[in-house]
Amino acid sequence: MAGGAGEAGACAVSPPPLRGLQLVQQGAEARLYRGQFLGRAAVVKLRFPKRYRHPALEERLSRRRTAQEARSLLRCRRAGISAPVVYFVDYVSNCIYLEDIVESTTVRDYITSVQQSGKDTNNLFLLAEKIGEVLARMHDEDLIHGDLTTSNMLLRPPVEELDLVLIDFGLSFMSGLPEDKGVDLYVLERAFLSTHPNTDTLFEALLKKYSTTSKKSSLVIKKLDEVRLRGRKRSMVG
Amino acid sequence: MQHFTHQLELFPDCSVTLVLFNDVKNAVALRKKAMEGSIDGALINPAMIVDPLQILVATNKAVHLHRIGKMKTRTLNAEIIFNLSPNNNISDALKKFGISDNDSAVLIVLIEDKEKTVNLESIISQVEGQQVSLAELHKITDIAKVKKMYRLTPQEEKIGTLLDGIICRMSTKDIA
Repeated sequence: MAGGAGEAGACAVSPPPLRGLQLVQQGAEARLYRGQFLGRAAVVKLRFPKRYRHPALEERLSRRRTAQEARSLLRCRRAGISAPVVYFVDYVSNCIYLEDIVESTTVRDYITSVQQSGKDTNNLFLLAEKIGEVLARMHDEDLIHGDLTTSNMLLRPPVEELDLVLIDFGLSFMSGLPEDKGVDLYVLERAFLSTHPNTDTLFEALLKKYSTTSKKSSLVIKKLDEVRLRGRKRSMVG
Repeated sequence: MQHFTHQLELFPDCSVTLVLFNDVKNAVALRKKAMEGSIDGALINPAMIVDPLQILVATNKAVHLHRIGKMKTRTLNAEIIFNLSPNNNISDALKKFGISDNDSAVLIVLIEDKEKTVNLESIISQVEGQQVSLAELHKITDIAKVKKMYRLTPQEEKIGTLLDGIICRMSTKDIA
């Protein structure tokens, strides 16, 4: 979810009345709140209506994204991929009530802090391999995340254990196509390399582990290479 | 004796009370009373319940749908029982999660809101059995039966508890 500023004067959608409710993040698509729900620490993702969209389209799109997200979270868990538990889905206001991974650290913050401190850099390679492995399993389930970034990956405390949790499946969908999986990886590659300087070898380790874990990886990596050539500022001559 | 009450966050006027009974002798009569409406509560088979949260999730969803007029069953109490099921077959849900004639343990879920108050004493007096604390639930739960019902995958058991898997299935079964 993009961390940018939300719409100015965003719509009168009231937050859910949970105990200890706090706004955690305002993204382009949705607002994230933290609070207590049914006695558990929960996160509420509220997709707010975008005024510039046609209302009929808005209704359908929000609902579809909400449903897709819930569906993908269940699919992940069934395949043994750590993702938040879904407590409740409200299709009227397009809100998902999820498990709050308490005191988690984003992979983004972890990589940055390790690079800054210079300690435990070997852990970064283990982390890269862990990510490669999890993504391979996800793609083997034909599940495409759609928005892979290091901010959409959490580490449960203690961070050193590298207990990875994937989040934000709002743009996810099902597909068996190597092209879609390749693009999924490409999105991560671009986000990864632009957010974390000097991590080429790290990402290579990620892809290597991905290749050895996934049974269908060779076609995916081939597509990834093709997509790289197609990217922005790339000449498609010849 | 300890019953368990929780006020639903999303419906602040609504509170849910769980009462657990063991050594119940009149399950047949209780079922009849529930169906007639003389007991206004959901009578649940506690062997299928691993934690009160399971009931709260089912109840929260039921109240939500009730308030927007989109329940799948005909009554709020039936809806609570239906929501416990991992599938969308209503009669199967009522059979597996509701109480049967020869059950000796019963879990009663009572909803109270601005339109309806609950007379706990009256309900308790109608049950020929021993009221026990919700803390005793784990002694009554039939884990094997629960696992069979919810069909958690082995991979899933590695990343979370049985309760996690149950709740996920309950909350996403309509779009799974």
